[in-house]
Amino acid sequence: MKVKVATKILEANDRIALDNRRLFDQAGVFVINLMSGPGAGKTSLLERTLAQATGLKIGVIEGDIAGTDDAERVERLGAPVVQINTGGACHLDANMIFEVLDDMPLNSLDILFIENVGNLVCPAEFRVGEDMKVMLLSIAEGHDKPLKYPLMFQESSALVLNKIDLAPYTDVDMEKIRRDALSLNPGLKIFEVSCRTGEGIEGWTGWLKEVSGKGFPQP
Amino acid sequence: MHEVSIALSLIDIITAQCRKEGYGRIEAVRVRIGRASGIMPDALAFAFDAIKGDSMASGAVMEIEEVSLTGRCRDCGVEFTSDEEYVLACPACGGASFVMTGGRELDIIDMEVS
Ligand SMILES: Nc1nc2c(ncn2[C@@H]2O[C@H](COP(=O)(O)OP(=O)(O)O)[C@@H](O)[C@H]2O)c(=O)[nH]1
Ligand SMILES: [Mg+2]
Ligand SMILES: [Zn+2]
Ligand SMILES: [Zn+2]
Repeated sequence: MKVKVATKILEANDRIALDNRRLFDQAGVFVINLMSGPGAGKTSLLERTLAQATGLKIGVIEGDIAGTDDAERVERLGAPVVQINTGGACHLDANMIFEVLDDMPLNSLDILFIENVGNLVCPAEFRVGEDMKVMLLSIAEGHDKPLKYPLMFQESSALVLNKIDLAPYTDVDMEKIRRDALSLNPGLKIFEVSCRTGEGIEGWTGWLKEVSGKGFPQP
Repeated sequence: MHEVSIALSLIDIITAQCRKEGYGRIEAVRVRIGRASGIMPDALAFAFDAIKGDSMASGAVMEIEEVSLTGRCRDCGVEFTSDEEYVLACPACGGASFVMTGGRELDIIDMEVS
């Protein structure tokens, strides 16, 4: 007996992502899926963002294969944080997020960051219910990355180029990164920052207030 | 990269539907995988065989249809098909501004049940 299935394999994930999205919208929280290869500086960017006096109330969901180091780093700065350990999975999916939402005070947040598992490939394939995807690339990873890992550059709304303090010690061609990233995604917003020195962080947090619509005092 | 989690979702979907239709065994399943989906057909078939275990799909054979990457160039308007897993420039004009119209598929088409 032949049975038509005609279903997208990721449909279950997308459905849960929509449920998450509904909860986020009800709570009025703006959600950013933060992605990069391992060690590009996702947690460092969150630390810098939290330390900046933005007036934004920020919560963080940390996704790692194992360990709680990142959650501890964020907790030290006083932000509500939940750690997810994927136990080997190379990305976060919508259900993993759904299961920890009870532990996040969504109603009192302006922005929720979801720090994805360090991986330049998979995280871009799985929606988790975010308003936007933001990716980091540290310049030490090399200027060939946009053309080698195009999907993440195409799916992201913003690219944070981190570790610009290291520029004098590398042969990286920043213009090539910009050019290739913009050719893959003409609308991509690009920030050059150093989480070590703090350079460029104000531009990033200013933009965060703007896109989240949370930067202006409520009347 | 995550063929195992894709195979798990696939088994969840087909066993649920098999049960709903009132059958007990899945003999075969046909899937459509885009060349640019990030999923390697061989790795997916391997993962499927490794985990179908004692599910209703334990005896199921998976047939994979691969879908080529297709796109339409925003600069010159050409529609193209490629056998690559990723296209970075329009094959006609070399421009990098194009929309992918196919190749990202991860779909279950149908299955044979008894
Ligand atoms: N030199 C330099 N090092 C940085 C910068 N940002 C992060 N790092 C270092 O890079 C390493 C990885 O950073 P982390 O935030 O844990 O990366 P994650 O894995 O993406 O979360 C740490 O040792 C950071 O101190 C930067 O702007 N400049
Ligand atoms: Mg981290
Ligand atoms: Zn993955
Ligand atoms: Zn063209």
